[in-house]
Amino acid sequence: MNIPKYLMIFGILVVGTIVTYVAATIDMDWIFPGANTLVALLIAFTKTTFVMLFFMHVYWSPKLIWLSVIASFFWLAIMFAYTMQDYLTRSSGVFTV
Amino acid sequence: MRFLIWDLVFVTFHFYRTNYVDTNGTENRQSAIANINMATHADTLEHDHYHPPGLQHQFEDMKQQEESVSLGMWLFLVQEIMFFGGLFTAYLVFRSRFPMAFAAGSNHLDAFLGGFNTLVLIVSSLTMALTVYYAQKGDRIKQVVLIVLTMIFGTVFLGVKAIEYTDKYNHGLVPITGLNKKAWAGEQHAATPFTFPFETKVSAAAVQPGTAEDKYVNPRGEFLWKDTALVQMALDEQKADPDGNYLTRAEQIGYFSNGQIDANKFRDKVRMFFWIYFVMTGLHALHMIVGLGLMTWLGWKAWLGTYGPEYYMPVEMSGLYWHFVDIVWIFLFPLLYLLGRHFGH
Repeated sequence: MNIPKYLMIFGILVVGTIVTYVAATIDMDWIFPGANTLVALLIAFTKTTFVMLFFMHVYWSPKLIWLSVIASFFWLAIMFAYTMQDYLTRSSGVFTV
Repeated sequence: MRFLIWDLVFVTFHFYRTNYVDTNGTENRQSAIANINMATHADTLEHDHYHPPGLQHQFEDMKQQEESVSLGMWLFLVQEIMFFGGLFTAYLVFRSRFPMAFAAGSNHLDAFLGGFNTLVLIVSSLTMALTVYYAQKGDRIKQVVLIVLTMIFGTVFLGVKAIEYTDKYNHGLVPITGLNKKAWAGEQHAATPFTFPFETKVSAAAVQPGTAEDKYVNPRGEFLWKDTALVQMALDEQKADPDGNYLTRAEQIGYFSNGQIDANKFRDKVRMFFWIYFVMTGLHALHMIVGLGLMTWLGWKAWLGTYGPEYYMPVEMSGLYWHFVDIVWIFLFPLLYLLGRHFGH
């Protein structure tokens, strides 16, 4: 890594933030409900990937670090998925009134 | 590694012998301790006696130490990800049930200030990354300057956060009863004071004027929310298009009483959004404060000239922490500030 490369990553992050802001003001519900959130999350994950790979030097790190990073997001996904497969399959009752 | 194993064997053996001989007298014990010292230093004596300045005894070389240190830091960050992940799960559950309440609450956060703070954190991440770069180069002055810059940006972030929290206090949007300013009847809260030209204005006037006999709208400092415009909007869309899914099942029950929109029931769901907002941004701000403490220590050590090409891991590890806090905000910003921005046509 050298300074121009750091500045390039920084530029990508700034552009990502501005795109997030602008995209949030455009109504994308005609695609499918919640499309705005999906776009926002896709940009956020892209930005996170750049920060982790280059600012946090994961790209040059040993395999064990890669494994920890990927495993953490994998476990997070399990937590989300198993929680939501419960809540989304309840017809009603909890937290409704 | 081979020497390490032999050291362990020697140490175990001598301890055994020490305890055994100890019953006979202390003289043997002291010679045994001398043997242990010889044994533990055996492998250093065999190599030339050069130690890199930052190398701890338990590591073979700098590379092993650096890998161990960064793995430890990453495992800490992994548990931080899971820790914030629990809060994101709470967010996911409640938002999937009450998207309109979340959108309504989100529209009363200041997205401009939130976006500004995102940029501030990204700049501070850049200065942090450059700090690590110059620590590796051994440039003491640039390190210190960049650490101070990082701290300034971190402080700006916290300052903006304080302004936002004050705004929530002034407008009765803190979910804890008693922690809100008592609003006079007739006071209005205009949503998002700043909007870009291309942005649609979101619904304003959350607080409707109270009745004339009430001095305060919230005499005990209660959470204040009267605006049900988004529910009405979704309801109208649902009526125009009965096959569509404009209100979730939970919303169809959770916002209505006897078929009418119930402002109090809706308020409680919006309040849930503000709970999540305050807990998540509050914990994030706490991490920022810890980060600033870390930077103070780091800046001092860098000023003393501790870090150079051979030893810079504390800078690198503090950087990992700082970037992690930045990443949390990268997710918090769209999920808390922008989720309802596209409503309000």
